[in-house]
Amino acid sequence: MATEISRSTVEDGVAASSRPRRFTLFGLIGVVLALALAAVALVQVRQFALLKQSVVYQDDYVVLSLYQVEAEYLRLREYWVRAQYERDNFDRDALQLRYDIWVSRVGLLHNERTARLMVGNDDYVAPLAKMNDFIARADKVLGPTSTRPLDVAALAALQPALDALGGPIHSMSLSASHHVSEQITERNAAVRQHNQVALALTVFLSLLVLVFGLMAMRQMRLLGERQRALVDLTAHLREAQRQAEAASEAKSVFLANMSHEIRTPFHGLLGMLSLLRDTGLNARQVDYLRTATESADHLLTILNDVLDMSLLESGRLTLSEEPVDLRDLLREVEALMRPQAQLKSLALHIDADPGVPEKVRADRTRVKQILFNLVNNAVKFSDRGVVVLDLHRASDDEGREMLEFVVTDTGIGMDQITLDRLFKRFSQGDESRSRRHGGTGLGLEISRSLARLMGGDVTAKSVSGEGSSFSFRMPLQTLAPAPRPALPHPAAAEGALPGMGSLRVLVAEDHPVNRQYMAALLEGMGHQPFFAGNGLEAVQAIRERRFDIVLMDLHMPLLDGVGATLSIRALPDGASATVPIIALTADAFAQTRERCLMAGMNDFLAKPVSPERLSAMLRRLFGGAGSTDAPSSGLADAPAPEAAPVVLDRATLDAALRAMPRERLAHLLRSFFDQGPEMVERLRIALRDGQALDLRVNAHAARGAALNFGLSALAQTAQALHEGATHVPAHEIARLIQRFEQLLTRSREACEAAGLLEPVTE
Amino acid sequence: MPTRRRFVSCLAAALPMAPARALDAATGPVVLTVFGRVSKPNAGSAAQFDMAMLEQLPQHSFVTRTPWYATPRKFSGPLLRDVLAACGARGSNLRATALNDYRVDLPFEDTQRFDVLLARLLDDKPMAVRDKGPLFIIYPFDSSAELRTTVYFSRSAWQLKSLEVQ
Repeated sequence: MATEISRSTVEDGVAASSRPRRFTLFGLIGVVLALALAAVALVQVRQFALLKQSVVYQDDYVVLSLYQVEAEYLRLREYWVRAQYERDNFDRDALQLRYDIWVSRVGLLHNERTARLMVGNDDYVAPLAKMNDFIARADKVLGPTSTRPLDVAALAALQPALDALGGPIHSMSLSASHHVSEQITERNAAVRQHNQVALALTVFLSLLVLVFGLMAMRQMRLLGERQRALVDLTAHLREAQRQAEAASEAKSVFLANMSHEIRTPFHGLLGMLSLLRDTGLNARQVDYLRTATESADHLLTILNDVLDMSLLESGRLTLSEEPVDLRDLLREVEALMRPQAQLKSLALHIDADPGVPEKVRADRTRVKQILFNLVNNAVKFSDRGVVVLDLHRASDDEGREMLEFVVTDTGIGMDQITLDRLFKRFSQGDESRSRRHGGTGLGLEISRSLARLMGGDVTAKSVSGEGSSFSFRMPLQTLAPAPRPALPHPAAAEGALPGMGSLRVLVAEDHPVNRQYMAALLEGMGHQPFFAGNGLEAVQAIRERRFDIVLMDLHMPLLDGVGATLSIRALPDGASATVPIIALTADAFAQTRERCLMAGMNDFLAKPVSPERLSAMLRRLFGGAGSTDAPSSGLADAPAPEAAPVVLDRATLDAALRAMPRERLAHLLRSFFDQGPEMVERLRIALRDGQALDLRVNAHAARGAALNFGLSALAQTAQALHEGATHVPAHEIARLIQRFEQLLTRSREACEAAGLLEPVTE
Repeated sequence: MPTRRRFVSCLAAALPMAPARALDAATGPVVLTVFGRVSKPNAGSAAQFDMAMLEQLPQHSFVTRTPWYATPRKFSGPLLRDVLAACGARGSNLRATALNDYRVDLPFEDTQRFDVLLARLLDDKPMAVRDKGPLFIIYPFDSSAELRTTVYFSRSAWQLKSLEVQ
């Protein structure tokens, strides 16, 4: 390919050097062509002028005119002689007419054009003078002023003069005839000459056109060749680019694969470490274990960063947006970061502006990741003072609505040089700091890349020694008032799982350490684990025994998770073929997830599998909460009735009853009402402490649950609390809480009256 | 439609036979004799005009350049087509004869297509025989390039004596 390119470069060089010469040639031919065309035009103009001249001057007509003069002269002479012989019998008028006609003919010779034709010709000038002379004398006899009677004597006296005119007139006629024929010959010669010139010019023009045509053809051919060369070059470049991209992608994929290949055994290690803690260790061992766990956690963080980075680089990281409760999210950040802050005696304030919507569309995990990173950095680089995470609305340069999270600390801060290098890969504040605080240095770059992927950005301001302020902006995507599943109050889902006894769980996992970890986890929850070492074993196990659920690792020898799922779904036994299958993988690609669902898996559990996530998953499948999802849709965010809301909305309750057994609904309702006093207490504490955010969160949760159960009046009051939390006066809030408490009782009574709280004996 | 066409052709056929209003006889010296296919003769089978009769027809005049005069000249007199109409002349060709026995043929159509003048005044003065008078057939040469050719120059007969309608 390199030789190709260099050859075409050489060709270009050659073409460039010959270009001026070609332009000169073109210019020359153009000038010659223009000149030739001008010459042709000139010849034609002259020919036209010649033709016009011959028409206008009527040279040959003059010859006729002279001939007529001679003829009339002869006739006049005849009448003249007859008049002298016949005397009185002669018709004077006839002679007069002949004389007048002849005079008129002679008069024509005075014509300017005739004169021009005959100028300088003695044969013309002398006879004309003689004729004029004669007419002057004859007019005394026959002119307009002559006497009436014809004077025969006078005629006789003029006879010799008249006769003498014969010779000159004849020679004048002859001379004119010769002269004109000479002129015609001359003109013909001129026309012939013009024609020859024109012919020559035409031949010349034809040659020029031919040359021009040849040059144009050559040029076209050159153009075609150059275009072909360009096309070839483009193809080569495209191929090279494709190869480069493929290589880069392969590297990214390799990196991603390697990092989660490392993570798989690593999770086993982590699991084992956590199990080891409960095996009665002595103080020293506990200390070693803690150090090992910390190192492992750090290593996992690095691995995750590397994985994220490689995904971002290869463009394979996709955001999965979902409705996110912003306050919930902030609470999660707070819950995780507060212990760290307390460890360093730092105050941590997390605050959300009332103007920020309750829920937005966002990638919950990634937003949290960015916030963790920013808050974590703030805590890490501050030794005293306060770390503040503040959420408010903003708008970008184009006027788009944005959400802005600002993390401010009173830490060591940064100078301008450090700020400039901040988001560069692998660069931390400075080397010493890096060593002191640890970390991959990828965190900020990942955060910024993620923020930009979301359509926002992460920016930093800092004054060395005074602290830093990091701003994370993302587009505000408010939720359309669309139906959205609302879970009952989180408290309702905690504790004992209703309707979920000991489950028979098949774990398909090839890694022995992970198998042990999963076994410990499941047994800890009171379930019965069974194991299969690969996909084939898993399918075989499903055919032989009944399981409540299958946890399927994706990467297994012999038959992988997707293949095993396809086989299970194809089993003839209906009960076996419909067993819920959950994918277990450290693979973070969205495509992988899609592939799992396409193969017929029900859900997806990301490794590392934490007890919380596993139990949430099982609850969703076998517990009460998940089953209320569908029927409650459309009611959660529906506007509550304005006036006199009913205490109990039967339609919603009926829908809930269709979706779940009466017993479970009764249980859920009972637990909701049982937690009522506690809920009211939480609202009162929030009011007392001025914690508007807590007030809103609790009111919101209460409202969601109340709506699901069709407790319309209660839901409406909860909503009023939720909306008024930040701006309604305290006494009004107190009144609303009191009303909420009253409605709780009334709702419970209504449910009891409807027999909804009684357990059904089976 | 056929009926109507027949009617029209009947009418056309009838026209020449309609009693023609005879042309008054010339009282002064005859300056123009029209003979041949003339439907309103006043002297045997020919129509004779004296200068007064030509004066009575609608008079026209124009200024034009000609090969015979160095400058543009003004010509006045009746239109040739009016003269022909006055004596009921119809045909396809006119043979003009001059006093000097110059003869030339004009297509009858020329008198319809162009305002051909039978000029009797040159620059508002009568023309003597020695000034190519007394009558001069003049085409409006300046009105069309088509007319400025030898063909039309030669059709312009001067010292006109008679017209034969063929």
